[in-house]
Amino acid sequence: MGLLSIIKKVKQKEKEMRLLMVGLDNAGKTTIVKRINGEDITTISPTLGFNIKTMQFNGYRLNIWDVGGQKTLRSYWRNYYEQTDALLWVVDSADTRRLEDCRQELHSLLKEEKLAGASLLIFANKQDIAGALGTLDIEKALDLQAMGSRHWRIVGCSAVTGAGLLDGFEWVVADIRSRIFLLD
Amino acid sequence: MVAGAPPVTPEHVLQHRAPAPGYLCPLSANTYDVEFVEFEIRDYETGASVFKVSRPPGAPPVPKHIDPALEDQVRQVRYAFPEEFLRAQGIRTALKFKVGDEPVPDFRMIERHYFQGELLRSFDFNFGFCIPNSTNTWEAVYPMPENSPARIKALVASPYAHVSDSFYFSGQQLIMHNKAQYRYVPTGP
Repeated sequence: MGLLSIIKKVKQKEKEMRLLMVGLDNAGKTTIVKRINGEDITTISPTLGFNIKTMQFNGYRLNIWDVGGQKTLRSYWRNYYEQTDALLWVVDSADTRRLEDCRQELHSLLKEEKLAGASLLIFANKQDIAGALGTLDIEKALDLQAMGSRHWRIVGCSAVTGAGLLDGFEWVVADIRSRIFLLD
Repeated sequence: MVAGAPPVTPEHVLQHRAPAPGYLCPLSANTYDVEFVEFEIRDYETGASVFKVSRPPGAPPVPKHIDPALEDQVRQVRYAFPEEFLRAQGIRTALKFKVGDEPVPDFRMIERHYFQGELLRSFDFNFGFCIPNSTNTWEAVYPMPENSPARIKALVASPYAHVSDSFYFSGQQLIMHNKAQYRYVPTGP
C-alpha cells in the first residue's frame, strides 16, 4: 500500500485545479459552491473569511476558494491569487443598482498579474428572480468585450434551482484542462 | 518538546513513518489563536453523519498552559466509528475554524495515519492565508482507500490501534499538534 498510495497521490496532485470564486457580497457565491457540492442551502450567512470545497469533478480534484465579498474583506482577495487556474466571478443579476461597482471590482481584479493566465467564468446568478438581467445585458454592463486574449465565458444560472451551474463548471474545467494538461 | 531540538517543519513531519512521541509543540505555540469550532464526518454516499463535534458558543478558549498529565484530554480525540464506515466509498469532512486578531500566513494541515507500524494515509492541505478575525470552513470529499476484509477485521479487532497525528503549520512554524485514536464498532452478527 505504501509506495502505491504515494504514487497515486502524486498523480492526483497533478490533476488538481484551484478555482477562486469572488464577487460582491450577497452575489450567491456560497450558495453556488454548496449547491454544486450537494449540501443544504437553506441557511447561509455572510462569509466572514473563506469556504473551501475540495471535490472530484469530471476526473479532476477541484479546490474552490469562496472568499467573502464584503467591502472590508475585498482588500484581502489578493492573498488568494497565487496559482489560481480560474476565476469565478459571481454577479447578482437582479442587483442592477450595484452593477457599476461590480464592473469596477472585476476590472481591477483582472489587472492583477498573478491572475493573468486564469480562465474567467462569470456566473450571472439569480436568473430565477423576476427582473434579473439576462447574460447579454450583464455582458454589456460589465464591459466583458474588453477582455482581450483571456479565455472567458458568461453563464446564466440560479444557485437556488441549480440551473446553469453544471454548464459553467464543465466549461471552466475543460478550459483549464486544454491550457494546462496538454500531455493528458 | 525537547529543549534545543531542531524546529519541526512540514518537510520533517512528511517523513514520519510512526506516530510522533508526545506533542511536538506546546499549546502556547498557537500564537495566532486558531480555534476549531466544528468538525463533522459524513458518509459521502448516504449523507449519514458519522461524527460531529462543536464548541458551544462562548466556551472558554483552550488554555495555553496545562499540566502535562492532563494534556491528552485537551489534545487527543478518541473516535468510535461503525465498522461499515471502513467500507464507505467516500467520506465528507467539514471543518470550521476561527483565527485571532493577526493574519495567518500559509496555514497548512498535515495529518498522518498509522496502524500497526504502517503508514495508512497522509493528508496534506494548504489553506493558505487566513484573514484576521475570520471564520473559515473547509469541506472535503475524499475517496476512501479500499480496505481488504483482513484489514477491516484487524482494525475492528484492535480498538485505538489506528492512530493519527494532526500538525498545523503557518509557513515553517508548527503552531498546533493534536492526536487522534480510532476504534471501529462491529455492527453485524
